[in-house]
Amino acid sequence: MACIRLEDFSLTFRVRQNRRRSFKEYLVRQMFRESVNPVMEVRALQHVDLTVRDGERLGIIGRNGAGKSTMLKVLAGIYPPTGGRLVVEGRVSSLFDLSLGFEPEASGWENIAYRGYLQGETPTSIRSKIQAIADFTELGDFLNLPVRHYSSGMLVRLAFAIATAIDPEILLVDEVLSVGDMSFQTKALQRMRDMMSKARVIVMVSHDLSSIMRFCDRAIWLDEGRVCQIGPTKEIVEAYTASASAAIAKAA
Amino acid sequence: MSQYLSDVWKCRYFWLSLVKNDLRARYSRSVIGIGWSLLNPLLMTIVLSVVFHGVFGMDIKEFGLYLLTGICFWNFIASVVSSGCNCLFQGEAYIRQFPAPMAIYPLRTVLSSSFHFLVALVVVIVLKWGVGGFGNLSALPSLIPALLLLFVFGWSLALLAGFATAYFPDTRHLSEVLLQMLYFATPIMYPPEMLRGKGMGWVVDYNPLAALVNLLREPILKGVKPSVDTFGMATGSVILIGFFAVVTLVRLQRKIIFQL
Repeated sequence: MACIRLEDFSLTFRVRQNRRRSFKEYLVRQMFRESVNPVMEVRALQHVDLTVRDGERLGIIGRNGAGKSTMLKVLAGIYPPTGGRLVVEGRVSSLFDLSLGFEPEASGWENIAYRGYLQGETPTSIRSKIQAIADFTELGDFLNLPVRHYSSGMLVRLAFAIATAIDPEILLVDEVLSVGDMSFQTKALQRMRDMMSKARVIVMVSHDLSSIMRFCDRAIWLDEGRVCQIGPTKEIVEAYTASASAAIAKAA
Repeated sequence: MSQYLSDVWKCRYFWLSLVKNDLRARYSRSVIGIGWSLLNPLLMTIVLSVVFHGVFGMDIKEFGLYLLTGICFWNFIASVVSSGCNCLFQGEAYIRQFPAPMAIYPLRTVLSSSFHFLVALVVVIVLKWGVGGFGNLSALPSLIPALLLLFVFGWSLALLAGFATAYFPDTRHLSEVLLQMLYFATPIMYPPEMLRGKGMGWVVDYNPLAALVNLLREPILKGVKPSVDTFGMATGSVILIGFFAVVTLVRLQRKIIFQL
């Protein structure tokens, strides 16, 4: 059984408007009890209640900066709550910030192994998968080069191939359907379909409403960190589109 | 805590391969490669021995090895602190993608520093055998607990340095100054008697680093097991710093992402 539960979940970032605080400022603050460098509170998520049950495919939509990607990172266990509770049951695999997290000096082959280990593979289990991963990237001899020589597209190919080589229970996806060149996109889409049919729970973020409609049976519309609406995909997408076109009409 | 350590162990393939990669990357474009781990302390010792012999008229045979041990030890501490400051930033991309235990990032640091340290330590021991015979063999097993203590000390130090730097970027510069001060407060390039004679013996007696370096020097150079006092002092300080490291982990490891 895989499931996700958020109860009255809030996440507030405290961001320095200027720079990070220095030791000097810390001392001064302790003495005078006031900040020279004010903190801006960003309420990334506010009082979110959400349950995703086994077998569900949830799509998250909303404007830029609405908290969609933050929500995925929360589900992946990267950001801790600043209020409320999060329960995640099941092995999570996440597809976001794909081209980050490579060792620039190591070759493509080695980076496949490193990422694999981080996703819970062992040297024995990775050995049986590594060729398939390499084939999927279509990078050929480039895999022998240090990844600092790779183009960003090549990095994404590599990352996508590794991240999708495992069978997760919970799959978190952030806008990865548009990776790579055209031929790779077709392949990636096929791979995503396969994964989506195998994973027990999927949460995906996308601005591409048609793929949300295609893949998800439930959708959540976030606005400024709050849940605006939640329900069957079609209804939510229609409501969201209506509000977006209303905003455009108003602006024009 | 044992749960936490087992989580760290679970991703051993990850951090072990990163360490391997770090070691290789460090010398990837040099001709003698890993040989620099050997050459660096050796050359330092030759330079310092010549200076000390020429200027202060000290006996090189004895003092050279004394210096070499000290320098190996100090290189370990200094590299643990300076790369420890960077360890969380170095792992930032991973931290942002996978919720792995934070202790693996300082572990990566301390392991690669340990490798260079061990290579240098073997050089010291072999040189000692060449110069003074095998009289120290019976005392060498006491190096095992000593190295374990040093490892935990280094891990905790790197962890504290990493977290401190994430909160206060100034730590990096501050730690350089502190290290410089500690370098002179620890008998690395002078014999402890020199301070004792000036009524400053307490600097050595209450300095955990002095106890730790003695754990190496006594068995290797003098062929005796370190005294209970030395072991006590070293263990005490390792427990203390380890405690701080654990408290830091418990309180800050989930929140550190907001500082990166």
